[in-house]
Amino acid sequence: MNGKRENRVEKIVSDLLRGRRLKLRGGDAEEKAAITTAARLAGARQGPQRMQPAFRKRLARALEQPQGEGWVTRRAALVAGLGLAAGAAAGGFASRAFEPQPVHASDPIRPSNGRWIDVAAMGDLVEGQGKRVTAGGVGAFLFRHGDEVTAVSSICSHLPCELWWDGGHSHLVCPCHPATFAADGHPSDPYRHSALNKVYVRVVGGRVEVLGTK
Amino acid sequence: MTPDETAAQAQAEVVELPAASRATDIALNELELVYAFIYARVGNRADAEDLTQQVALKAIPRLRQNAAASSIRGYLFATARSVLGGFWSTRLGLSEAELREDLLLAPPTDPPSEEGTETVQRILVELSDNYRRVLELRFLHGYSLKEVAKEMNSTVGAIKVMQLRALRAAAKVRPE
Repeated sequence: MNGKRENRVEKIVSDLLRGRRLKLRGGDAEEKAAITTAARLAGARQGPQRMQPAFRKRLARALEQPQGEGWVTRRAALVAGLGLAAGAAAGGFASRAFEPQPVHASDPIRPSNGRWIDVAAMGDLVEGQGKRVTAGGVGAFLFRHGDEVTAVSSICSHLPCELWWDGGHSHLVCPCHPATFAADGHPSDPYRHSALNKVYVRVVGGRVEVLGTK
Repeated sequence: MTPDETAAQAQAEVVELPAASRATDIALNELELVYAFIYARVGNRADAEDLTQQVALKAIPRLRQNAAASSIRGYLFATARSVLGGFWSTRLGLSEAELREDLLLAPPTDPPSEEGTETVQRILVELSDNYRRVLELRFLHGYSLKEVAKEMNSTVGAIKVMQLRALRAAAKVRPE
């Protein structure tokens, strides 16, 4: 939590008392008890709440839609990270089921002044084990698959922390929170964080090169 | 209402209303309770609506079985607890296991909609006078920090620190 904790918690309390949505960030976990308690107190200040008529109507419409036609508000889609195009849900609903969607790998890292950097020999890589390398400003984990190599960013997709390779469980682990990722960059825990960015990698004459920076 | 009376009422509704409307009405009434349960934990309407919507979506197949209210309530609240756990876990970047003690997601009492307010009162009673006062003024009476400082003959900075400490202390109180 950056700055004084009392200031950060006051910001959250102030937002809650103004009826605003909870906007939290990674460091706030240090005050999780105070924050969840603040939300409970804010929730209780006006007594039991009832749904707004407009929201109740939307729920009713959704409940009466034919089975298989899902619905979702744009806001919920964005919160859930579904990445629906704003236009697709402009009417408030989208004909798309609100079920967990497969997470697609994030875009590859393409440095504007990228250059191929020699980072390892093929012989350095062990099948089934991740190897941490740096190519200038780009940190990556390399994975060997026979004669091919894949690479993902070494930075967690949720909190900007350096991942480490847990060989025992064969996944990348974030030291800042309980997020884990498989070698292909997809999350291997149930929290549905975005996949890791892929990193461009190639094998040239038995050497592994990563598209990095000077 | 006894189980027999509940069943009789549900049966009566089957006769009087088309099946789809009956199911929707029952579902909406139950989702009102879910909304109150969630609102009491996230403290704002926007998040409460999103999460209630998620509960409804997950529960639609069950709701469409035209089940009686009593049989879907347990399912809806189990879903609500799961959705709330996921919400805090994602927002704070923590596992639900780490959050379990802070979330207090015990099954609601009957009626569920009043449980949040009563719990908060029981928590406040356990605090020291200053901590209880700052939280009551801020959250229940809607005072600004400056107003709280004036009321308690203190400074805004000191009240800010006291508010954080009071919230931490309140989090440690386990009502009942």
